[in-house]
Amino acid sequence: MSTVGSLEQPVEPVPELPQGGSAGASPWRLAFRKLVRNRLSMAALGLFAVIVAVSFAAPLYAHHVAHTDPFASSLTGKTEVNGKRVDVLQQGSGALALGETPIGPTWQRNYFLGADEQGRDVAARVLYGGRTSLIIGVGSALICSLIAVVIGLAAGFYGGIIDGILSRILDIIWAFPVYLLAISIATVLLTQGLSIGPFTISASSLWLPTAIIGVIYVPYVARPIRGAVLSVREKEFVDAAIAQGASDRRLMFGEILPNVIAVVIVLLPLMIATTILTESALSYLSIGVQPPAASWGTIIDDGQQLLYSRPWVAIAPGVMIVLTVLSLNVLGDGVRDALDPRAKLRVKG
Amino acid sequence: MLAFVVRRTLATLVVLLAITILVFLIFFHTPGVDPARKMAGRNPSPATISAIKHAYGLDRPLPVQYVILMKKLFISRDLTSYTNQGELVVPTIVAATPVTLSLVFGAAIIWVVVAVVMGLAAAVLRGTVFDPILMMIALIGISMPVFWLGEMANLITQSRYHDSFLFSWVPPLGYTPFASDPAMWFKHLVIPWLVLSALYIGLYARVLRAELLENEHEDYVRTARAKGLSERRVLLRHTLRTSMITFVSLFGLDFGVLVGGGALLAEVVFGLPGVGLLTYQSLTSLDLPVIMATVIYGAFFIVVVNAMVDVAYAWLDPRVRPA
Amino acid sequence: MNPIRRIRPTRAACIAALAAALAGLLAGCGGSGSSGSSGSSASSGDHRGGTLVLDWNGIGSSIDTAVDYDQNWTLLYMVYDGLVTWKKVGGAEGNTLVPDLATAIPSPTDGGKTYTFTLRKGIEYSNGAPVKASDFVRAIEREFTVPGPVGSFYQGIVGGDACAKTPKTCDLSQGISADNAAGTVTFHLTGPDPDFLQKLALPFAYAVPASTADKEVGPSNPLPATGPYMFDHYTPNQEILLKRNPHFKEWSKDAQPNGYPDEIEVKLSLSTEAEVTQIEQGQADWMYDQPPNDRLNEIANKYPDQVHLNPVPQVFHMALNTRVAPFNDVRVRQAVNYATDRNAIVKAWGGPQLATPTCQILPPDFPGYEPYCPYTTNPGDGKWHGPDLAKARQLIDASGTKGDKIAVICTPDEASKSVCLYFVSLFKQLGYDSSIKVLSAAVEYPYTQDSSNKAQISFSYWYPDYPSGADWFDVVVGCNGFHPNSTASANLSEFCDPKIQAMTEKAIKTSVTDQDAANQQWAAIDKATTDQAPWIALFLPRHVDFLSARVGNYIFDPNVLVGGPLLDQLWVK
Repeated sequence: MSTVGSLEQPVEPVPELPQGGSAGASPWRLAFRKLVRNRLSMAALGLFAVIVAVSFAAPLYAHHVAHTDPFASSLTGKTEVNGKRVDVLQQGSGALALGETPIGPTWQRNYFLGADEQGRDVAARVLYGGRTSLIIGVGSALICSLIAVVIGLAAGFYGGIIDGILSRILDIIWAFPVYLLAISIATVLLTQGLSIGPFTISASSLWLPTAIIGVIYVPYVARPIRGAVLSVREKEFVDAAIAQGASDRRLMFGEILPNVIAVVIVLLPLMIATTILTESALSYLSIGVQPPAASWGTIIDDGQQLLYSRPWVAIAPGVMIVLTVLSLNVLGDGVRDALDPRAKLRVKG
Repeated sequence: MLAFVVRRTLATLVVLLAITILVFLIFFHTPGVDPARKMAGRNPSPATISAIKHAYGLDRPLPVQYVILMKKLFISRDLTSYTNQGELVVPTIVAATPVTLSLVFGAAIIWVVVAVVMGLAAAVLRGTVFDPILMMIALIGISMPVFWLGEMANLITQSRYHDSFLFSWVPPLGYTPFASDPAMWFKHLVIPWLVLSALYIGLYARVLRAELLENEHEDYVRTARAKGLSERRVLLRHTLRTSMITFVSLFGLDFGVLVGGGALLAEVVFGLPGVGLLTYQSLTSLDLPVIMATVIYGAFFIVVVNAMVDVAYAWLDPRVRPA
Repeated sequence: MNPIRRIRPTRAACIAALAAALAGLLAGCGGSGSSGSSGSSASSGDHRGGTLVLDWNGIGSSIDTAVDYDQNWTLLYMVYDGLVTWKKVGGAEGNTLVPDLATAIPSPTDGGKTYTFTLRKGIEYSNGAPVKASDFVRAIEREFTVPGPVGSFYQGIVGGDACAKTPKTCDLSQGISADNAAGTVTFHLTGPDPDFLQKLALPFAYAVPASTADKEVGPSNPLPATGPYMFDHYTPNQEILLKRNPHFKEWSKDAQPNGYPDEIEVKLSLSTEAEVTQIEQGQADWMYDQPPNDRLNEIANKYPDQVHLNPVPQVFHMALNTRVAPFNDVRVRQAVNYATDRNAIVKAWGGPQLATPTCQILPPDFPGYEPYCPYTTNPGDGKWHGPDLAKARQLIDASGTKGDKIAVICTPDEASKSVCLYFVSLFKQLGYDSSIKVLSAAVEYPYTQDSSNKAQISFSYWYPDYPSGADWFDVVVGCNGFHPNSTASANLSEFCDPKIQAMTEKAIKTSVTDQDAANQQWAAIDKATTDQAPWIALFLPRHVDFLSARVGNYIFDPNVLVGGPLLDQLWVK
């Protein structure tokens, strides 16, 4: 899939926590120390933290620096540039005077990156957009992990018919080109919103893209988890536990779950990177985040309409996406190396 | 072996059937989507609409509609679009396929060549600064949304620097068939090729490097070295060869996904009238027959390639074959 | 928001059948001052030849005259003919009816219920077969029997009602008598219809061989042509190619002049950005679609001589649902009319050169148009001057609807979204809890029509099929245009005022005998409807044509078939 990041080739070789009962250094602590020593990963973590902080400071920027409401239409608005009052949307020049072009970057407090077609402050919108993209990215990755852990555990632990049915369902979703699935569901749900029993998600709610993206990646995460469960089940220490008469519950939570969590933690940064990319693609096709809310993807979509006259509208949110996804990918590498030095790269097959 | 192939084929068919039902349910259940209304023109009477509904069987129960649709798609092959009823769906997809194949083949050649060079270089230069630099470039390639990269390419080649000597050869967005003008075909595709391959160059270079480093410690490599073969020979003849097995199987899957509609975003950004763009257009107009056909086409490619890779693996490595 | 030709949902293509009253206005409308070149003789050989290349963002539509509604009419008028047509000239005259395959336009007899046409002799289809009287019976019958639009246009023909009910047994032999030997076609109507001749000029009534089946013809088997061109080749999503019809001999310059280019090629599925670039580089000659806002300033400054602007009588508006809160209160409808800053909307559409504010239902130069604008500061001269927020607030306070939820419905294209976002902001400012609901273009129009969805307000526009007040007040804001719980309900406002409806019915009756008196009645109806505010009328658009440098002989024909330059009259040599 052209834009899906690293998740596309899901983890097959299963990371395993070093097992050991020695009380001193727990495997988690060892891994954490290793991660902290990896300077590149720490830099990536720092970059990601900065992006998160800046994005969540969006209201501060909008109200106290740019003095603008980045969600209100401002077609006939005016602003001050170098002491002069000018229109935010400026009528075309020449004898024909066709078209209306938004103001370009002023590199000042107001309209730092210029305006979009609604006369709204692009810089403020990029910050708000980051907030939305991050919330959806992290939210859908968490939803995805949760569902995947439940499915993976059930399939791997109980096996048999449950495994058969769950695996077939995953196969079906797997066979669907992932973007096509997301686009199909989003197109349909945008008309009506989603209601499952007592829960209703309106079409303009951020929960809708979050839920859609969370669901479509379940097979990509559930498979490695199922694999992890299967391989742990075959370990001697599990046999030993069974021989000692351990209950299903103890096995599940005492032995298997910690390993599963390791898999999720290794995958999580990469999942967030992937979900952020997916959200931006859906929003770019205008079936993700709905206006007047903004995400990086919707701003790129707005910017596409202004590519010839005001390219910054499309450039800025794209750069933010690249930085965010890059930092998550580097961090993901670091986490994997720390938790599971023997794991190969994310390779299927 | 034969039993395995048969079982795999059956499972594949079941998955394909399930996909058609899933797609049908997703789209036929959409309220507000009323193909009859669309066919009825600007100001029809309610009677016209019910007449059209009847003529197209849209007033029949859902399972019957599903069977009619599948029959028209696979048996009589005269399924027509709802948006343009004169348009036969199957020939439309057949006409769009060469565009997608042109895009994906070209990009694949670029990404395989560049990724092999990058992966090899990184592995050979391990321990120098070039390895992390190359791998960082690969990561950046993975981290860019393809539609944004495509827009930036358009910004440079179509808008900002289009009048400069560098990009004045770039034609307006669109496509020219190879048969009618090979040079124009190439000019239309070269920027999309580069953009589409960026992600895969990153992925494959990383995969290859990791594989190379892993295989370095395998016995047969040590043996080769012990026989006194030069480092270069060992690398190219032995390590690279083994490492390419993973590389090639991955390639099969990605290629299947891209040809099956995965190139949608690239086709949308560059206005290439391939299967992806067709799918996208039919999705925005909720043209169910075309959606069904393109999604089945895509799923077909992916499922079949998946199955082929599985079978090939089973053939290569008997341990994979399920008992 | 109709399934409109030249689908560029942004600044949608503009067409309208204008009244003959429109005299002169269109002649001087070129923005660059180079519009409307001389309508010189079509048969002169100097400029004949070459291939005209057109770009179209659409995917292509049906080429069956019984099925295509509007999207392909620009091509169909060069390929097929009916008994009558609109004159192929620029300006207002482009809306006068002239005989086409018939020798003359008949006056109705039998109290306006019977029309008899005599066919021209010796006209052949592109397959060599002669055009016969019985072909027209078949054409109208297919309107009912081929699944597709609009039997309702011809339901007034004797037997038409039965055909609409049970298409399978459709038989119009009572309603249309054809005498192949004498070459006459006679239509019998159930009642007088002042618009019947205009309906016969629409492509639905174009001649098709009597043997044509009740099945839609597709791209691979087009109907045989009568006009100067015929479909040579059509690949949906890719291209359409027209070539000269070898059997065509010019019989009337007014009705169907011979064309200049030898071939007309339509490239489909291009982005509008690519279309502009192709025309700039001379790879295409004209684009169906309106150039995107992003490029307007560029083409206006770099290629001013290749840009042409023409007004088209189309009204863009927000349809307010008069049966759903808060717009079921006339005070709220009037309030939002007062509050709307039409200058902001004009900016969203591309500036004052491309749109002019309006407040009323009818467009200028339409029969019965009198300037009227109550919803402005300083009302009185019929023009819009500025929003009156104080008055709006007063009315809203009185209505007690503050805090109500309002969902503004629009399509995902840039201009529609822009207009809707303006209203979301405006309603917030007025104290409502407003949000936007973006629906895919395929869903939006049926969704807003179906009253069970209780759509509150949506961005829409209307243009008439032929110049008649009835096409507005009896359809888009009239009782007959509203069908509850149906997706076939053009009256999005669900507006039905018994008093106004009575006036409308009277005006339709009057127009059979006295057009001038009817026009006065339409003006009164326009005012009464505007006062009830089923819409927020927003602006009147101007149409942009962008041509390549090599093209000559640009003639803008405003009528419903062409709605742009007369394509076959363009010179590429």
